[in-house]
Amino acid sequence: MTRWNDGVAELNAVSPDITDETNALPAKYFTDPDVWEMEKEKVFGRYWIYAGHENCIPDAGDYFTRTVGDKQVIVARDDDGTVRAFYNVCAHRGSKMVEDTPMTDPGNMDRIQCPYHLWTYDLDGDLRSTPRSFEEASLNPDLDDSDVSGLDPDENGLLEVQTDSIGPLVFLNFADDPPHTLDEQAGRMKTRLESLPLEEYQHARRYVSEVECNWKTFGGNYSECDHCQANHQDWITGIQLDESELEVNDYHWVLHYTHEEDIEDELRIHDEHEAQFHYLWPNFTVNMYGTADGYGTYIIDPIDEGRFQLIADYYFADPDLSADEEEFIRTSRQLQEEDFELVERQYEGLTSGALGQGQLGPNEHTLHRFHRLAQEAYNA
Amino acid sequence: MTADDAPFVACCPDCAERTTASDPNEVVAFYRRHHAVTGHDVTWERMPSLGTNLPADPDIDAVVAALDDSPVALGAVSAAASEWGWTVGETLDAVHDRRLTGALWEPRDDHVALV
Repeated sequence: MTRWNDGVAELNAVSPDITDETNALPAKYFTDPDVWEMEKEKVFGRYWIYAGHENCIPDAGDYFTRTVGDKQVIVARDDDGTVRAFYNVCAHRGSKMVEDTPMTDPGNMDRIQCPYHLWTYDLDGDLRSTPRSFEEASLNPDLDDSDVSGLDPDENGLLEVQTDSIGPLVFLNFADDPPHTLDEQAGRMKTRLESLPLEEYQHARRYVSEVECNWKTFGGNYSECDHCQANHQDWITGIQLDESELEVNDYHWVLHYTHEEDIEDELRIHDEHEAQFHYLWPNFTVNMYGTADGYGTYIIDPIDEGRFQLIADYYFADPDLSADEEEFIRTSRQLQEEDFELVERQYEGLTSGALGQGQLGPNEHTLHRFHRLAQEAYNA
Repeated sequence: MTADDAPFVACCPDCAERTTASDPNEVVAFYRRHHAVTGHDVTWERMPSLGTNLPADPDIDAVVAALDDSPVALGAVSAAASEWGWTVGETLDAVHDRRLTGALWEPRDDHVALV
């Protein structure tokens, strides 16, 4: 029975049993601004979130910024070659330090310096220096210079955010004590991706689209292909949808799409004769293509409860793309545009307030996992 | 709101991402979000007519003076300055420069006025 917002139907938490009627996340979790505020802490503040690709910052001092909800970090390679992340916040009085710097146009700095009062930090986050005005008390008649104890570099450094990696893919976790390691969250995805030479591929293109729907609406659409036959007719040419497999793991799921004709091995990064679309909770995908020697990533980044940015990055062996690779990306973007139409239309319906709780079909088990993880995060 | 009926339309020429808005400052917000993750600038495709003549040579103070509101929305300044072919980023940089020389001030967020 469909659960309309008719004052009669009772809404429930997502049932662990996909055959139950209440197997979907209630609609309010997609449209309520308070839910987005909650997600900043309970989802994006607790789970491992993709930061970026370390090939984009190959040298010491290279950096980019990454914003997640209300938080922004500087992701930088230190003098030892380690990629670290720090809140983009000065330890002095909280000023934002570096300007927004996209991964695709990274900056380089010898040290991290706050422009406000010139507190300066080493690339490992330690406080390196402060101006003389912090070392003496010449303007304060109540103090002598000898009263100024100085600032311990170790105790006054930047606030570091935990990082971990899957090959060249760098992840962040804002929690002091994360409920899972990245290994636990990524599970088999980590093993699989680390068996591939991801680091040999270079960033070639970034396309960023703003879409008017909740981030989970798009995440759900990505996670199932029941809509593909009717809505992606160009893309499904050559794909055997009925032989495809939807694999569900704890925090990640994979859509395996088998191609009707065998494609030359040179046209894939992986061995299996299929395309593999990996979704890692909460908002990251790795797209292993069946017909192009490259891979892509999506970040499904919320702006608020009703909008998100899709940050689509494409990686190929040579960033100077061939005509075939350009055409491949064009097709990929066509697929995105088709999906944007679908999810914006779905969200327009959801925001009408008519539907209280949708229902998932038996082949939407990937989406069921997605909804269960959201419910689990909200309940934590 | 679609691109057909929106009073303000702007686009990223690098990746063809387009935004529609009823308030010109929504385009400024879009530019900031888009620039932060791409480094790209944004150009205006459609805006209501200013209804007054701008000087032939770019002069951001003249735009602020010519617009009726005081303070005037940054997005409106940028839309008007697009008549000189300026992007959103170029206009924001010019406004920033004029503020820091004391010619313009910001009596409320993302709205500027002549000093």
